[in-house]
Amino acid sequence: MAAATVIVLTAGFALVFFYAPLDADQGFMQKIFYVHVPLAICALVGFVIAAVHSIRHLRSGEAVHDARSYVSIHISIILGVAVLLTGAIWARAAWGKWWVWEEPTLVSFLIVFLLYCTYYPLRFAIEDRERQARYASVFAITAGAFVPLNFMAVRMADSLVHPRTFATAEGGLPAEMMLTFLVSLAGMALLWVTLVRFELVSKSARARISRVRRALDTEAPGARTSRIAPAVPSRASAG
Amino acid sequence: MPALPLDEAGKYVAGAYLVFLALILIYVAIMAAKLARIDEELGELAELADGPSRPEPAADPGGADAGADQNAQGAHPGTDPVGADAGADQNA
Repeated sequence: MAAATVIVLTAGFALVFFYAPLDADQGFMQKIFYVHVPLAICALVGFVIAAVHSIRHLRSGEAVHDARSYVSIHISIILGVAVLLTGAIWARAAWGKWWVWEEPTLVSFLIVFLLYCTYYPLRFAIEDRERQARYASVFAITAGAFVPLNFMAVRMADSLVHPRTFATAEGGLPAEMMLTFLVSLAGMALLWVTLVRFELVSKSARARISRVRRALDTEAPGARTSRIAPAVPSRASAG
Repeated sequence: MPALPLDEAGKYVAGAYLVFLALILIYVAIMAAKLARIDEELGELAELADGPSRPEPAADPGGADAGADQNAQGAHPGTDPVGADAGADQNA
């Protein structure tokens, strides 16, 4: 998976700089589009995937779904930081400003991002593992439902300066740009999946260490343990 | 929206891609640090697990060497099986 991610992302970026034509309007600056938009799509889809895992967690009570939801949100927030930074750089190049508060696309993404940033304090303010997982799942479902609604609202709103690229009256991207974009999007999606898997493996290993410590009855008072509900092996096999 | 000249736009494009790369590298560095901590904790656990079965020094004059061997064996779980096991767990 990691190797496929590197290959596809590298191929995508190679297409960006050696294959995709220069945009007639924006010129070379438009190359930022191929990293910024796939990042945004993966981050937003990641939030929705987290909501799906949370629904599965509430339905089954299996801790592994809660762990997957947590990690999906975690990685999507990291991608969200990249979206905001790359978007700000593009805005500076295109509009001469790092941020435009009147633009609904920018502000709506910031609202979604900040909403998910509150997930951590909400989650870790609750000591009891079961309640923590349940409340976090409810939050992830509610916020996850907000993501597509927010996206549709922004699409329906009048854009001030942010470009609309897909499903426009002008017909969208030319074929070369679309191919480049799709390869970049595939690479970014693979990156998301790879990072989620790394994080899950890490959490699982920490949880196993904690269980071994408890089994050996030698856990020190200040021992580090995973703060989220761990992925229990017997249940993980059910998911 | 007027297109910036290449020398002007180039630094913004490079900046955007470098920000992306930097974030990925920071994440990988954090994950590497976490992995090192997991390895360290596994080493501690392996030592604890090996402790009770260690032979008495009086009963075995070569106890120091035996203990060193056991510690060396105890390092194995921290290097491979847990990661593979955890990975298999998540894949399931």
